Amino acid sequence: MSAGSSSPTIGQGKAATIAVAAQLCGAGFLYLILKAEGGWQVIGLLALLAAGFYLLEKRPQIADLVTASFSQAPVVAVGTAAVVVLLFPFVVGSNTYVLHLLIVAQLYAVLALALNFQLGSANIPNFATGASYGIGAYVSALLAINFGMSFWLTLPVAAVAATLFGFLIGIPSMRTRDTYLALVTIAFGVVVQQLLNNLSWTGGPNGLVGIPAPSLFGHSFADPLVVFGWKLPSQANFYYLSAALVVVAIVTARRLHSSRIGLAWNALRADEIAARAQGINVAWFKVLAFAVDAFLAAFAGTIYAFYVSYISPDNFTFLVSVTIMTMVIVGGMDNIFGVIVGAFLLTILPEKLRAFSDYRLLFFGIVIIGFLMIRPQGLFPQRMRSYGESK
Amino acid sequence: MNALLEVENATMRFGGLVALNDISFSVGRGEVLAVIGPNGAGKSTLFNVVTGVYRPTSGRVRFDGSDITGHPAHDVVARGVGRTFQTSRLFSDLSVLDNVIIGMHTRTGTGVLGALFLPGASRREMAACVEKAEALLKAGSGDLFEQRYRLAGTLAQADRRRLEIARALASEPKLLLLDEPSVGMDEIETDALIADIARLKRERADLSVILIEHDMRVVEAFPHQVICIDYGSKIAEGDFAAVKADPRVQEAYLGKAAVHA
Amino acid sequence: MAELFVQQAVNWITLGCIYALLAIGFSLIFGVLNVIHFSHGDVAMTSPFIALAIAQALAIAVGVASPAWLIVAACAAVFVVGLIGVTLDKVVIRRFRDAPPMMALVATVALGIVIRELIRHLYPQGSNPHAFPRLASGVAFEVAGVQVGWFSLLVVTLTFVLVALLFAFLRLTPLGLRIRAASEDRVVARMMGIRDTRVFRATFFVASAIGAIAGLLFASYAGVTRFDFGVMAGLLGFSAAVIGGLGSMPGAILGGLIIAGIEVLAQTFVPDGASYRLVFVFLLVIGVLLFRPEGLLGRAVMVKV
Repeated sequence: MSAGSSSPTIGQGKAATIAVAAQLCGAGFLYLILKAEGGWQVIGLLALLAAGFYLLEKRPQIADLVTASFSQAPVVAVGTAAVVVLLFPFVVGSNTYVLHLLIVAQLYAVLALALNFQLGSANIPNFATGASYGIGAYVSALLAINFGMSFWLTLPVAAVAATLFGFLIGIPSMRTRDTYLALVTIAFGVVVQQLLNNLSWTGGPNGLVGIPAPSLFGHSFADPLVVFGWKLPSQANFYYLSAALVVVAIVTARRLHSSRIGLAWNALRADEIAARAQGINVAWFKVLAFAVDAFLAAFAGTIYAFYVSYISPDNFTFLVSVTIMTMVIVGGMDNIFGVIVGAFLLTILPEKLRAFSDYRLLFFGIVIIGFLMIRPQGLFPQRMRSYGESK
Repeated sequence: MNALLEVENATMRFGGLVALNDISFSVGRGEVLAVIGPNGAGKSTLFNVVTGVYRPTSGRVRFDGSDITGHPAHDVVARGVGRTFQTSRLFSDLSVLDNVIIGMHTRTGTGVLGALFLPGASRREMAACVEKAEALLKAGSGDLFEQRYRLAGTLAQADRRRLEIARALASEPKLLLLDEPSVGMDEIETDALIADIARLKRERADLSVILIEHDMRVVEAFPHQVICIDYGSKIAEGDFAAVKADPRVQEAYLGKAAVHA
Repeated sequence: MAELFVQQAVNWITLGCIYALLAIGFSLIFGVLNVIHFSHGDVAMTSPFIALAIAQALAIAVGVASPAWLIVAACAAVFVVGLIGVTLDKVVIRRFRDAPPMMALVATVALGIVIRELIRHLYPQGSNPHAFPRLASGVAFEVAGVQVGWFSLLVVTLTFVLVALLFAFLRLTPLGLRIRAASEDRVVARMMGIRDTRVFRATFFVASAIGAIAGLLFASYAGVTRFDFGVMAGLLGFSAAVIGGLGSMPGAILGGLIIAGIEVLAQTFVPDGASYRLVFVFLLVIGVLLFRPEGLLGRAVMVKV
């Protein structure tokens, strides 16, 4: 964890420039890796990335400088980010495959951010996060298919359903700890998946098909998006939708992290008994972590269901939960930026390394073990909260 | 009898082991009570029973007029009891400042919905906490304020004890339980600790303190009640001089042979 | 009616013994290391593959196919898997012994994934199921009109023998004594001069070997082996250990019997029960973890505050 809060004070102009430059670099790298063809290009880019990390390790001042720039020029930073996100599909052109990757990466980013509340902030292992994702997807799909409910209405309903499930898993968390709790979540995850697989009204192993595309103000998401004469493929609709969800997730994460809630989670992560001795109702906060995770995960699940218009229990297995967990562990526990990077990396890389796609799981397993052994805090370790300089 | 804390016939059994045996005592507002006794006598267990970490096998604990026997720890804290631990239980991967702010958990109220939908209010509350925390750190001995952005896990032993006390004070308690605060402190640091506690008593006349201590200099420094516990039972009660002279207390610490030598 | 009952009882005891053997491995490792070795099931299920490979190699080497090869191979596989267990400890698990338990758990889950994928890639046609013959076929005797096969007898006898041997080992040999001391309190054991490394190596070897035997029996019972059997074996064996009480040998046996019982009952009385059996088992696991986390026969651990 980066210690000390001696953030350098930089001039406004310089801060703004750094903020913009850093984001453009990141966007550029993302573009390159999305467009890369063939194993060698990808490996080359990965080597570049590794070199970047090595540099950051050796000279942590760079990271501090960038972070300081962002906090000193927030308007410019957010503005640049908005422009980058909005314009990305235009730059990508009609490459639907790239758009698809971005959509999936963004959805996983949301899932990883959701899990981060439990895993990163509160150190509660949750192997059932795929189940909340799945419940969100199934509830919204069932409502749309059987009752013709519009996508926008199913969103909150599915979220509520998944949150109730989150509370349900959360209850055992009040009395159990650590490894036993992990087991309970594994058990819940398996139970949910088995039920989805066996109950007839969930479509059984064949799942649900024919989920209708959402529409907004008469524009169906299945149609290409036309903006000022530019025509973007229909995926662009979902790209913007999932990008919006990512923004919501980031805002949620930041607000909770810097509030009394985030501190309480960190406290119970560090020492449960001491946390109780400060008046923290540990049981409630644990349940809360489950509920918040489920709520966000359900949103991601709903969007996913309507995007691919077909879901089955295979999309929400234990392995999915493990994947999301990997993203948090690798990206950086309790670090919002890190978690998003982890999600993007672990979504895009396996796709790009198609040649090795059969080895993807093996790769994941080794990566998790490697990180846990060598760098358990992840690529981007958690940052200390700073409250501005005082005299 | 307007005592702040009353412990009546508290007994704590762990299977066959009797950690506390029928202990009764009371602490009034503004009083300082010292609890002494050999290692393993059950002093920390007593704290755990009072603060709700353990539910006593039998007996009652009354605080500020209400029965709090067996209430969960977070409830007891909210009612105004703060404590430190014998082995410092700090939040090691958080900053010194954050440790103190967490101590204010029961005096703040932002919930999930507030944090999400009223970020301004949440930020303001946090800023107020930061101010109070910094004031607390400045007021204590040592230079915790200068170290406020250090990870709590990297502090020196004496600073860890001080931070524990600052964190416990952050909840604005009516009753403060200090579990061997002078552990690991040399003479100078112990003097500073004594000065800290004396200052606390001056600034907050109503604050009651229960002190578990081995260092008799600390015990001696405050004109107050002392109880001695051995094997879970209270074997002496009175002021420091009386307890020190009690042969049973001497036996407990030094052994029978030494006392009657 | 009586026939059905007896038939199911035979199934129950056979399956229960297999699960018990799996559970013993988990319990043994947890008891000594306080680590839940989540990949134990996968380690155990490498043994049928290794046995098949050795048997084929023997057949090719000697030029003659024979059922005896499988028996020899099975014995060899048990030994090999024991070594695999020890190696895994040395390379991976050891580093997580003092880490926060959650980290160790995630690491061993990942390790399980790695083992399964390695089986799939290293064994020819690894993604497909492979037939695994009964290690003992034919009917031993009849009771109440129901035929009891040699296989069931083998399973039960083997289990008894192994449990007795394990019991003797833990109680009567010096190494066993050290293992028990280490499981009571590792720090004190180390201070008394009990060398960690030997104790852990022995524990992993024994646990993995017993697991390997369980794996062979499991594959035998099912008639096939698949690279991902380790997931099911792990989950079931682990549930049995938890229900019985992690760290308790009698608990492992009890847990194994309970889980097998649920499975057999579900299969008999619930329509399409076979696919729901996991649901019932896990609901029970959740219940036990909620209300009696130390398991039915385990010891509750008090944390000093």
